[in-house]
Amino acid sequence: MSTLKTRYTLTQSQKMMIFVLSMSLYGLSNMFTELIPSIQLGPIELSVEYFAFIPLTLCMLFHPLYAAVGAAVGEVIFGELMLGQFGGLGELEKFITFSLAMYIAGRMVSDPKNRRQVGIAAISGVAIHQFCSSVIDIAKVWVGVEELEAVQGLAESIVIIEGVGFLNDVLFSGILFALLPTMYLVPRLYGKIEPLLGMKPRERNMQYASGSKSWLSPKLLGGAILLALIAMGAELLSESGWSIGEFELPGAESNEGMLIWISMLAAAVVAAVVLTVILRKASRRRQEAGQLDG
Amino acid sequence: MVEAVKRALNKISVEHIKLELLGTAYNSSSTFLGRLDPRMLLIWYLFFAITPWFIYNRTILLGMFVFMVVTTILSKVSPYIVFILCLGLVSQIGWMFLLSLFFGGGAESLLPMLTLTLKLSVISLASITVFSSLDPERLSDGLSALGVPDAFAFSLSYGYRILPTLLEEFHQILLSFRLRGQRPEKHGFLYLRTAAYYLRILVLVFYPLMLNTAKRSRTTVEALETRGYTYAVNNPKVKKLRLSYLAMQRRDWLFVAFTVVYIGLLFPLGAAVPNLLY
Repeated sequence: MSTLKTRYTLTQSQKMMIFVLSMSLYGLSNMFTELIPSIQLGPIELSVEYFAFIPLTLCMLFHPLYAAVGAAVGEVIFGELMLGQFGGLGELEKFITFSLAMYIAGRMVSDPKNRRQVGIAAISGVAIHQFCSSVIDIAKVWVGVEELEAVQGLAESIVIIEGVGFLNDVLFSGILFALLPTMYLVPRLYGKIEPLLGMKPRERNMQYASGSKSWLSPKLLGGAILLALIAMGAELLSESGWSIGEFELPGAESNEGMLIWISMLAAAVVAAVVLTVILRKASRRRQEAGQLDG
Repeated sequence: MVEAVKRALNKISVEHIKLELLGTAYNSSSTFLGRLDPRMLLIWYLFFAITPWFIYNRTILLGMFVFMVVTTILSKVSPYIVFILCLGLVSQIGWMFLLSLFFGGGAESLLPMLTLTLKLSVISLASITVFSSLDPERLSDGLSALGVPDAFAFSLSYGYRILPTLLEEFHQILLSFRLRGQRPEKHGFLYLRTAAYYLRILVLVFYPLMLNTAKRSRTTVEALETRGYTYAVNNPKVKKLRLSYLAMQRRDWLFVAFTVVYIGLLFPLGAAVPNLLY
């Protein structure tokens, strides 16, 4: 390792410390936000979506990658698994979008003492996350409902519901629980929390030493786009499977079973591809990150 | 409205939340599904999490749903979680229906959405069944046997270990903030003042908590390293030894066989009677 030459490279233990710190703090806050009741005003829900300020603060103060991934893991473990609400594969999408958004927000800050920069980064982190999850929710309904166009007004209503949810999350919990606390905490914690983990504070405009190589943003983006493409491809495949079947063999009862099996096979292939991609990515990330877990 | 807020606020005592959380998290599970092989259960789950998206035959979906209900009952999921799940599904679909009526749809728009609900409930029941009946140790071993990074397995056990300590510390800091602060004299419109006061404290508490947790995570990592954690994680022999107790037993094979037969019978049935439900 070239850690000795470059000044701001983190050692493996330091990476692990950031990971553990971010995981336990955000996990704890997630347990509370799961329990805070929300106020429903019609379809608009005023709720404390999450305490985004915790991962945002940590991403801005430390290396954003480990803080972001740690927070996402913490959410899965404390907020979902321990409360018995784990959604399985559905959490994967949350995991990816959340860590991506927090990572980007962390990268946007070059000077943690600059409040304006911190504020802009915080609100855009929340906006990116909420936007991604709204788009995914809309796509889910489009895949899940077969004859979407046949149902009058369904498409519009989904977009409206998601849009209102997006605005609420960004404007209400985004400002109250991401923007204001982050602007309060980051300059205050800067220089105080780093020595406790045995590392130097980030300096102004510093480059991440491992940045040029394991700068995951392009790769992470690429991975996300790939996953989205796979999901869309799967949807198109299943759709086309049905329509081809109906076109070629109108009303052939016996073939319907066959077609089901074909689409099942497609589903299995897609699942296998997705899993291998994820596992590859995970192991690659682990290698690049100098093994997060040690 | 005001009553609801009042009741909700009464429920938020930290002590109460603490008990609730600990009760849910450490609720030991000794159900039928909990004793099955975790790797098998995870693969079983993957099947039921992915295939419903590609099935539009309602009879098959209904059959899957019935199967999921049975397994959910077998795994003795707490009624609270099931209630939350139902509420979420009903409210989501309900709002969509209302809005699509507004845009000129009719009652016929309910049917495709019912299919979607069926799919979503199969998927969520499968996840609840599997993940609430596996205890954390078996779950993390199953995941790491299937190749999930070990950081996750570590975090899972660490989370279970550290939660009581963290909660205790959080509570201490919260109490000290309340001792030094002053509650609003009046509750204000819709208890907004009180709610704002508590939410503000809740955020402020994280400032000392972050510093304390930073110290603790440093101690944790140092303790891990002195015990050779990195070496153990990177050594395949250690992993093999750790996971050697996982084995497919007779009841696992029976469970797999039953699932395969059931799903296998469901597809011809669905092809023969595609409109059993509606």
